[in-house]
Amino acid sequence: MKPSVASLYQAVELQQEIPPLLIGERANSNGSKKFRELLLADDYDSCLKIAQEQEAKGAHIIDLCTAYAGRDEKADLTTMVRMCANALKAPLMIDSTTPECIEACLQLYPGRAIINSINLEDGGVNIRRICKAAKKYGAALVALTIDEKGMAMTGDDKLRIAKAIYSIAVDEFGLRPKDLLFDCLTFTVGSGDASLRDAALQTMEGIRRIKAELPGCLTVLGLSNISFGLAPQARRILNSVFLHEAVVAGLDAAIVDVAKILPLARISDDDRQVSLDLLYNRQVVDEKDPLMRFIEHFSGKKNDTTDKDQEVTRTTEEQLFYKLMNGDRDGLDDILAILRERFKPIDIINQILVPAMRHVGELFGKGEILLPFVLQSAEVMKASVTLLEPFMDKADGGNATKILLATVQGDVHDIGKNLVDIILSNNGYKVFNIGIKVPTETVIEKAREFQVDLIGLSGLLVKSAIVMQESMPQYRQAGLNIPILLGGAALTPKFVAESCVPGYSGPVVYCADAFAGLKSVREFEEGRLVSTSYDATTAVKPMKPGVKDRVLDRSNPVPVPPFIGQRYVEDIDPAVFFPLINTQALFRGRWGYRRGKSGAAEYEALIRDTVQPKYEELMQRAFAEKLLQPKVSYGYFPCHAEGNRLFVLAEGDEHVFAFPRQQEAPFLCIADYFKSAQEGGDVSGFFIVTIGERIGEEINRLYQADAYHEYLMLHGFSVEVTDALAEYWHGVMRWELGIGGNRSDKVRGAITQAYQGSRYGFGYPSCPDLEAQLPLFAFLKPGAIGISLTENMQMVPEQTTSAIVVHHPQAKYFAV
Amino acid sequence: MMTVVNSCRYICANCGYIYDPGVGDSMNAIPAGVDFEVLPEEWICPLCYATNDQFDPLD
Repeated sequence: MKPSVASLYQAVELQQEIPPLLIGERANSNGSKKFRELLLADDYDSCLKIAQEQEAKGAHIIDLCTAYAGRDEKADLTTMVRMCANALKAPLMIDSTTPECIEACLQLYPGRAIINSINLEDGGVNIRRICKAAKKYGAALVALTIDEKGMAMTGDDKLRIAKAIYSIAVDEFGLRPKDLLFDCLTFTVGSGDASLRDAALQTMEGIRRIKAELPGCLTVLGLSNISFGLAPQARRILNSVFLHEAVVAGLDAAIVDVAKILPLARISDDDRQVSLDLLYNRQVVDEKDPLMRFIEHFSGKKNDTTDKDQEVTRTTEEQLFYKLMNGDRDGLDDILAILRERFKPIDIINQILVPAMRHVGELFGKGEILLPFVLQSAEVMKASVTLLEPFMDKADGGNATKILLATVQGDVHDIGKNLVDIILSNNGYKVFNIGIKVPTETVIEKAREFQVDLIGLSGLLVKSAIVMQESMPQYRQAGLNIPILLGGAALTPKFVAESCVPGYSGPVVYCADAFAGLKSVREFEEGRLVSTSYDATTAVKPMKPGVKDRVLDRSNPVPVPPFIGQRYVEDIDPAVFFPLINTQALFRGRWGYRRGKSGAAEYEALIRDTVQPKYEELMQRAFAEKLLQPKVSYGYFPCHAEGNRLFVLAEGDEHVFAFPRQQEAPFLCIADYFKSAQEGGDVSGFFIVTIGERIGEEINRLYQADAYHEYLMLHGFSVEVTDALAEYWHGVMRWELGIGGNRSDKVRGAITQAYQGSRYGFGYPSCPDLEAQLPLFAFLKPGAIGISLTENMQMVPEQTTSAIVVHHPQAKYFAV
Repeated sequence: MMTVVNSCRYICANCGYIYDPGVGDSMNAIPAGVDFEVLPEEWICPLCYATNDQFDPLD
C-alpha cells in the first residue's frame, strides 16, 4: 500500500506520481493576515473559502491552523475542521502544537488526517501524547527537526533529531515509517546573515540523508521561509526554483501558497540561474555575492506581466471549473473576462462549464454531493452564461437540443419541472418552460412553434398521471413522434410502460428526477433513447402497509364539539406552529440534505453548521418580511355513514363524500370510522388551512431571479410550514373535541400519529380521490380566506391543505 | 445463542418515520429484531409509502 491520507471523499497518495504533494498554507492564522483577520471576526465561512480556494488552485492537502493569542484555539480549530471535512475534497493537515486540540480534531475528522506537528523541543513530552493519538486515530505526522537546543541548522543535526523522533514514533509507539513526514526546516537565504548562506544546501542535505538513512519515511518542507525578506515577485521565483531542487534531493511534500508556485518552464533562464546561485551559495570571482546579484537582478523588475499572463494561462480554466464545482460566484466576471481573450464564449460554455456541470451531476449521482450544492453550481453556470451572452453570436448555441417543459393540465406544481429546467438549461440545452396547468393542445402547438426535439411533462398528482396517459393518443394524432419524457411523484416505471408507452408512437420515457431527465436527453443525442419498459416478472411489488385485520369498535363515544358549523380563524401567530415543523422531512426530503455516504458525526456537523442556520434564517425572514399569512376555515358537522359514503349536514344541506374502499383485507374505508344513522349518527370535523399567497410570490420571484438554491430552500420551507399549520390545527380540533390530551404535541407524535384520531387529506393514499374537495369547499367556503380550486381539484395557493378530521380511536393511515 | 445485531436505525427522508430494528414495523408485519439492511426489497415506509432508498441511516 502506498502511503496515503484521506478526506471523507477521497484518498490522496503522499508520494505523488509527479512530486511534490502540495499542501496549501493559506488557511493559517499565523501565516496569513487575511485568514487571521477573518478568524478574529468569527467569519468562519470566509475562512473556509480560503481553504476552498487553495483546493481549486491545485492543493492536494489543506493545512489548517487557528492558533492565535487570545482565541480559543480548540473551539476555532474543531469548528473549522468540521466545516472543512464536509466542504473539502482534499484531506486536512491539522496544524497545532497543542495535543488537546489535535486529539479533539482527530476524533471528529472523518478521514485520515496529517498532524502538523511534533518535535523534541520539550525533551519528549508532547510528542509522546501526540504519537499516541496518531496511532489511535490513524493519522500521519509531520515531525520538525527541533530539539531542546532549538532548530537544527545543519544536515547532520537535522538527521540526528529525525532519528531521535523516529525511535519514539516508530519503536515506542508502533507508528509506521511511512506515517512520518520529516520537515527539515529551512531558513532564509535572503537576509544576508553569513551563518545562513548555506541554509538551502543544509536543508537539501538533510532531506537526502533522511531519505537514505530512514527508509520508508517521507519528507516535507515549509517552502517559503527560504526567501523571507525578499521582494514578493523575487520570492515566487526563488521559492519555485528551490522547490524543484528540493524535490530532486528527495522532497515528497511541500507546504506552499499553491497559487504562487511557478512551473520551472515558465521561469526564464536568467531568473533561474541567479536563483540557483543564491540557493547553492555560488561565489563567483570578481562578482558580488549571490544575494546581492539576486537582489539587483530583480530590483529592476516590477510585477512581470508576461510571467503573470503565463501563470493565468495555466490556471484560469481550472479556476472556472472549480468555481462552478464549489458554487462560488466571487470573481466570476474577472475569470470570464480573462478567458474571453482566448476562447469564444460558446467554447467556454461547452468546454469548461458544461463538463464541470456534468462532473457535478456525476458526483450527485454517486451520492458525493447533495442537491442544494448542485443548485449552487447551477447558479454559477447561469451567472457565467449571463455574463458571456453579450459576447456571443446569435448563431451560437442555435443547434443545441431543444426541450419543451410543461406541468400538465390541472396541476399547479412546478418545483419538479423547474428543477428539470434548471438542470437541463444549465447543461447547455435550450429549454422552453411553458408553465403550469398547460392543456395538451397548447403543448402540441408550442412543440411545433419552437421545433423542439423532446417534450417533458410533469405533474405531482395521481390525477396528473391519468392526464398524461390520456394525452398520449392526442400527441400521436397530432402527428408528433419526438420523445416524451414523463416525471412526477405519482408516476412509476410500470405505469409509464404499461399505460403511456402504448398510446404514442415515439419513445415515452419515465424520469425519476431531473438527472434522469438529463440522462434521457443525452441518450436522445446519442440516438439510443428508448421507451421505458417494465418486466412484471422481475419487478418488485411494494408492500401495502397498514393494519391488516381489525374489527372496528362500534361503541366508541361521540365527542361533543364546542360548536356546530363553520368558522374562520385569521389571527394565528406562526410562532405557535413553528415547533411542529417536521425538520427531518424538510432537511432530508424537501431540501435534499440526505446523509448519503457521510458518517453520523459529519452529517450532524452539516446539519449544525449549514442546514439548521439556514432553517433559522428562513424562520426569521418569514417573520420579518411577513411572508406567512396563516388562515383557517374549519368546522364540526353532524354526519352519518352509509357504506362507503359519509353524509354531512351543513347549514341545512346534506353533502355526500364518497370514499374509496380497500380492494383487499381488511377492506378499510374512511366512512367505516363513522357511525351509521341506525347507530345514532356521528360528528365529523373538517379544516382547510393556508399560509397565504405571499410566500408563493416570493418563491416565484427567486426562481425568476435564477436564485435556484434559495428557491429550493424557500419552497421546501413553505411546504413543511403548511403541514405544520395543518398539524397544529388538527391538534386544536382534537383538543376542542376533548380527545386531544395536551396540546403540546411534538413533531415525533405527529409523525407516528401517537394520538387519538386521524386527519385524512384528499389526494393521499387513504383517499386518493380529489373529488372530495368539492363538498368540503361547499361548506367550509374558503374563498373568503383566498383559497380557490382548479378544475382538477387543486387548491390555490399551493401552500394550502385540507382534511377530514376523524375522532375514532382506531383511525390511522392506510392505503386503498 | 448470541446474535450479532447491527442495530442501526433508519429515518425516512420524506416524512421522518424512524425504522428501529429493535421495534420492527407492525404496519408491514415486520417483527422486532429485523435489521433494516435485510428488510424485504418491497418494504416501504409504513407512513408515507416512500421506497427504502429514501431512508438514511440515523446512528
